[in-house]
Amino acid sequence: MSTEISPQTADASDEVAARPAPPPRKRAGAGLLRTLSFRNISAVYVFVVLFVVYSFWVPETFLVWGTWTSLFDASATTALIAVGLVLPFAAGVFDLAIGAEVGLAAILVAWLLTSGEMPISQAILLTLVAGAVAGAASGLLIVRARIDSFIATLGLSSVLLAAIAWVSNGQQILNLPLEFQSLATDRHFGVTNAVLITLVVSLAIWYVLERTPLGRRVYATGSGPEAARLSGVHTTRVIVVCLIASGVVAAGAGILISSRLGVGAPTVGPSYLLPAIAAVFLGSTQFKGGRPNVWGTVIAVYVLAVGVKGLQLGGAPVWIPDLFNGAALLIAVGAARYQGRSRPRAAARKG
Amino acid sequence: MEPTPLLSVRNLSKTFPGVLALDQVSLDVHAGEIVAVVGQNGSGKSTLVKVLAGVYEPDPGAHIEVRDGAGNYLTGQRAMSDLHFIHQDLGLVPELSTIENIDIGRPLRHRGLTPYPRRAEVREFSAQVAEFGGHFDVTVPVHRLTAAERTIVAIARAMDGWERPDHVLVLDEPTAALHSDEVKLLFDAVRIVAARGGAVVFISHRLDEVTSLADRVVALRDGRVVGDTPAHAVDNTGLAELIVGRRMEETRREPGPIGKTVLSVQGLSGATLDQLSLELRAGEVVGVSGLLGSGREHLCGLVFGAIPRTRGVVHVAAGAPVPPDPRASIAAGMAYVPADRHRSGVILPMNVRENLTLPALRPLRRWWGGLHAKREGAETAHWVDRIQLRPALPERAVAAFSGGNQQKVALAKWLRAGPRVLLLDEPTQGVDIGARAALYDIVGQSVAAGCAVLICSSDDKELVAFCDRVLVLRDGRVVDELSGDELTPQALLEATVAPSGAATTPSTRHRNGTAHVH
Ligand SMILES: Nc1ncnc2c1ncn2[C@@H]1O[C@H](COP(=O)(O)OP(=O)(O)OP(=O)(O)O)[C@@H](O)[C@H]1O
Ligand SMILES: [Mg+2]
Repeated sequence: MSTEISPQTADASDEVAARPAPPPRKRAGAGLLRTLSFRNISAVYVFVVLFVVYSFWVPETFLVWGTWTSLFDASATTALIAVGLVLPFAAGVFDLAIGAEVGLAAILVAWLLTSGEMPISQAILLTLVAGAVAGAASGLLIVRARIDSFIATLGLSSVLLAAIAWVSNGQQILNLPLEFQSLATDRHFGVTNAVLITLVVSLAIWYVLERTPLGRRVYATGSGPEAARLSGVHTTRVIVVCLIASGVVAAGAGILISSRLGVGAPTVGPSYLLPAIAAVFLGSTQFKGGRPNVWGTVIAVYVLAVGVKGLQLGGAPVWIPDLFNGAALLIAVGAARYQGRSRPRAAARKG
Repeated sequence: MEPTPLLSVRNLSKTFPGVLALDQVSLDVHAGEIVAVVGQNGSGKSTLVKVLAGVYEPDPGAHIEVRDGAGNYLTGQRAMSDLHFIHQDLGLVPELSTIENIDIGRPLRHRGLTPYPRRAEVREFSAQVAEFGGHFDVTVPVHRLTAAERTIVAIARAMDGWERPDHVLVLDEPTAALHSDEVKLLFDAVRIVAARGGAVVFISHRLDEVTSLADRVVALRDGRVVGDTPAHAVDNTGLAELIVGRRMEETRREPGPIGKTVLSVQGLSGATLDQLSLELRAGEVVGVSGLLGSGREHLCGLVFGAIPRTRGVVHVAAGAPVPPDPRASIAAGMAYVPADRHRSGVILPMNVRENLTLPALRPLRRWWGGLHAKREGAETAHWVDRIQLRPALPERAVAAFSGGNQQKVALAKWLRAGPRVLLLDEPTQGVDIGARAALYDIVGQSVAAGCAVLICSSDDKELVAFCDRVLVLRDGRVVDELSGDELTPQALLEATVAPSGAATTPSTRHRNGTAHVH
């Protein structure tokens, strides 16, 4: 349906008209050119530019292997959260509660391990279940109570933050078992567990979204909810399932954060919201011409991380990450709008 | 004494990546003239309109001029204020009401912050849509209106607030969802515009409309003007030949063997329907005719469970009652092609392949849940070929196809699922006559294989040509039924628009027990 205004004068028509459609995918030759076009993989080009600039600016710290492994590791949780967030966005709903879900999991697992005196596996399982419940709650608010996803998850986010404060009394939870602390930082194949987990989860979500009938239904729900419903897609269930899955992934990320920090910190969660959303939006402008997608998101996370890292190495003040992430989000979305690929945002506001 | 044209287009070309949509088009439209633009799906008609509207930038070298009140020719932005459009997709804001949709086209001037005189406004706009035969609540969001009602809103908006009579009105398939009687209302309005000295350009796939309304016919094929003749010089067959480029036979479907009842609907109520009952048998094609508000536009959606029903039972074959839910209906073997293609029929941003396979993904699922990509590709190729998709690019977003080709996708995705009951709501709206024959051919094959088809259409001719019998609806009930030799366009039109006095005494000929009203 048309989303624009067409007064009797001339300025508009419909989606079809006003916005050039994504070019058809073709075989080899022309296809390769299109794949490498700035439009399709701008983030990769931005990455190259950042890399070159920082290499000249702060070569002695930027071009060091340790910088890269630590950057890789430190951004793994952001990537994990963002990848989980791809699911609700693909289904056309916002999830602003993701930061609070991360925070809740981080504090809950610490509390269960210390005050609750639970074995590690049990505490982790219960925390993941809590993530699922939080996701299900947003889902039901959206599809049952029919609250706009933006408002529903914003409200839930506030409730979860209150729960965090209640569990933690606003204090850090110390003395986590050493075994738990090594969970995120142990290395296999030369990388930390956090990176491995992120990779595995990304692969799984990518496979489901791009290579299964279920993923097709998720995108259908996000791109045309009414047409999808009439085609037999259980759109409400799709939305709830996506939110549950992203809640579980967020909880997993929260667990990894507590494990890395060695404490349960009550304030860590919300700071992940903006980078994660920025990455999903940025990512949706990559590869798929407007669809939220896993690899675009992962690349976006690391481009943002590299951008911030370089500035920090160059001695930039502490407020740089916020500025960089915020500006990147605005530029990415603005550029996508300008190119006429506004679908992820338009779709994301539905539901 | 050749008068100066109101709108003049010279050497207009428009290239999309890989497609030359318009090729050196030239066109003059004079004051008081009604020009019909005809052509196959994808021949460039909508593109022409959109270039005039400034939605698309034409290729360099084009010259578009509009004559203003003082007789000067304007180009570019300033010319736009004298051009008024109704686009193929209407261009309404779905979340806004009729009032708001019309009002946003009006200049703000000094009333920016003046509160609405609510009551007066409702009265004014109700009167405005009533002029075009619309009787509905002007305060509800337009997405809650039917397709035909939305068309009326778009027309009212396009004709709102003209400063001079000699403006240019451009209509891109305004009648696709209107019944021939409603079309008359619209055409009367259009004739008034022309009589006052305005110029009208309109696009339609319905040949009768073209010959009855237009003064001149311009035919496009592959973006080129291939014909420009006075309307009285061509008849339907000549016109068809001009459009398709070859002779078209007017055919009537040969009725085939009819089997057992596969769809039975009892006491269906909801939206505009009131206790409607009907039965459909295997291999049977039943048409439904009716004016706006008769229930025609809600019947398919109610049977399928797309819109909430208040009462009634639907059975498929001997199965249990089908609950009013699309998934249950699909599981029972129903398929529904809605009239509102953009919102409900296809998913515009997704490509043809993804749209085609969406209703029946299960057969493409591997045992571990993965999608059988190769089989999906093969099936897509098969259907793209079968519906003669133009251009045949299954990986392209549906949004980039012409209206008629989008409709083919909306139909094909259900035929692929192999339904027992096919519910079609305005199935050939916006489809050119060549493709229409192809679509009916495909539907006909399903019918021959035992599928039962219900067609709700505002196009009487197509009902007559394709259906075994046609039900006539009024006020949400079946008031008449025509079949066999009685089924002629003339008889159908009379039955459909019969004055309400005659309506309450349905004719007794060929009564089919199931079509009785309560
Ligand atoms: N945004 C677009 N991007 C690429 N190609 C387009 C775009 N819009 C239209 N086309 C192509 O331009 C050609 C002309 O399309 P147009 O919509 O003008 O056809 P039409 O004559 O209006 O057809 P219909 O009768 O089906 O409405 C088609 O081949 C179509 O695929
Ligand atoms: Mg068109």
